[in-house]
Amino acid sequence: MFTMGIDIGSSSSKVVILEDGVKIIAGEVIQIGTGSTGPKRVLDEALSKAGLKLQDMAKIIATGYGRSSVEEAHKQISEISCQAKGVFFLVPSVKLIIDIGGQDVKAIKLDSKGGVKQFFMNDKCAAGTGRFLDVMSRVLEVNLDEMAEYDARATEPATVSSTCTVFAESEVISQLSNGVAKENIIAGVHQSVASKACGLAYRCGVEEDIVMCGGVAKDLGVVRAISKELKKPVIVAPNPQITAALGAAIFAFEEVMAAVIFAFEEVRGANK
Amino acid sequence: MSRIETIISELSSISNNPRKAMEDYKKETGKGSVGVMPYYAPEEIIHAAGFLPVGIWGGQKSISKARAYLPPFACSIMQSVMEMQLEGVYDDLEAVLFPVPCDTLKCLSQKWKGTSPVIVFTHPQNRKLEAANKFLAEEYRLVREKLEKILSVQISDEALNNSIEIYNENRQVMREFTDIAANYPNIIDPIKRHAIIKARFFMEKSKHTALVKELNSALKSLPVEAFTGKKVVLTGIMAEPNEVLDILKDNGFGVVADDLAQESRLFRNDVPSGTDPLYRLAKWWQEFDGCSLATDAKKSRGPMLMDMVKASKADAVVVCMMKFCDPEEFDYPIYYRQFEEAGIKSLFIEIDLETTSFEQTKTRVQSFSEML
Ligand code: SF4
Repeated sequence: MFTMGIDIGSSSSKVVILEDGVKIIAGEVIQIGTGSTGPKRVLDEALSKAGLKLQDMAKIIATGYGRSSVEEAHKQISEISCQAKGVFFLVPSVKLIIDIGGQDVKAIKLDSKGGVKQFFMNDKCAAGTGRFLDVMSRVLEVNLDEMAEYDARATEPATVSSTCTVFAESEVISQLSNGVAKENIIAGVHQSVASKACGLAYRCGVEEDIVMCGGVAKDLGVVRAISKELKKPVIVAPNPQITAALGAAIFAFEEVMAAVIFAFEEVRGANK
Repeated sequence: MSRIETIISELSSISNNPRKAMEDYKKETGKGSVGVMPYYAPEEIIHAAGFLPVGIWGGQKSISKARAYLPPFACSIMQSVMEMQLEGVYDDLEAVLFPVPCDTLKCLSQKWKGTSPVIVFTHPQNRKLEAANKFLAEEYRLVREKLEKILSVQISDEALNNSIEIYNENRQVMREFTDIAANYPNIIDPIKRHAIIKARFFMEKSKHTALVKELNSALKSLPVEAFTGKKVVLTGIMAEPNEVLDILKDNGFGVVADDLAQESRLFRNDVPSGTDPLYRLAKWWQEFDGCSLATDAKKSRGPMLMDMVKASKADAVVVCMMKFCDPEEFDYPIYYRQFEEAGIKSLFIEIDLETTSFEQTKTRVQSFSEML
């Protein structure tokens, strides 16, 4: 049986196709999100990779910022529940998830069964999100995927504000014009992202294992900065951008199974 | 339309259109309205003068002109109040009563941009001393004097004691209403509950009391229905705009009690009995606890909220955090820790009167309902 999870974020679209609730047979990402062609394209890509059609899906669940605009979905579940489900599936020892996406930062506390105990999200400001890193990468003329390398070479991280993206951008520009090395500025940018996320983590209560997911988890500079701030190791979820889509696909599988069991019990009850 | 629906729709239309309520009052009595800024002003003095006390709670607004006077991190409600002042929204008021229990209000009271005269007074924060009662009664005496002058009326002790009784009756009926409404969350959904309570700010209180009393008995005569959603207690300054309450409703939440400064905090205590009305009003402030604006060495807000959760059999607390409200932000970590220790679930949502996008609130509320 195949189920599908679709996660439409603000800046990327992700789809996971799951076989029998355990085997990921497609996990695709397109770096454009809700309101774009991204959702449709990523859906087609995942189906073609798996060699399946939409009709082959027993159930489809959508999640993420654009979850209510996915026509193909049978149901919507919030990304917090899906993130918890997906990460717990991959790392069952997880107690705290730090999820940094395009425009959201979330800290999610889990119980030992993977249920959500508490969560906190950033306020509306883009500081500390993927968007913040995008802006900085443009100003610094360093690709996002190179930022971790620059950070590793930093000798004296610069101070970058974590309260406002616009303010932080002008701070970075003035540091550049003062000749501060890009390496040090990037380490400062990473610290700034980390301080925002760790603030939410502290509100939740920090407990190991700590797992990071979301697009920003691919930037190891941020991961290192978070680990340093929390003084604890941080595990990066395998394929960290698709964990919420994976969670949605698992939810879809569980719901199909629950319906099957329910129908079976009904029949058994009727035959008694 | 049933009587219940008629009363709810009458109160909702008043709460949605305060200007019309003011005009109607003027037509009926020939007297105007006096604005009442948050929080805890002795409205009874205005009532005793025969004028209509009108609550000033800002509104959903995009902010532009107010930016010239307020820093961007001033709380959302006062940003909107300032914007509306600059638009002349409050200029029809005969006067404005302006308590200053927080720093934002203190600063704002010194830069009122409307044309109505403003009467500023102070709540003492060393509240548990007898001197506090004397100080506040004296403040209220000055408020009365200034009002008498501006409105050209005499406000007798007798009239004031009488208004206190009218207000106390309203408080008692409102407490009854919130208890009864908790049994009928299918009928009294979060939006209706809020509108019924908010109408208090724009009606002569005995009229509001009469309607809510009737509503209470009509509700009580109905069988208690099963509620399949989750029951929550709201805490904070206010739970507006209605989109926030809509999101709660859409996700199956019913409000069974509240600790909002705009709602139950105003009527959970009566003004105590006595003969000197100003002293009685002052004493109310001394006896009032569990609010971020009233210094409370015992920090009783958390335990009070937990008692509310227990008494109303609520599933959780929703913290409606007014954006950039420092008194409320300072209280939060204290009661949040108490909730954690007691195993009480809570959700933190931000109240921003300027916003038009509610996606984040939707995600938080939906996740919370999935979590419970
Ligand atoms: S109490 Fe909070 S919301 Fe109210 S005026 Fe003061 S800062 Fe603003």
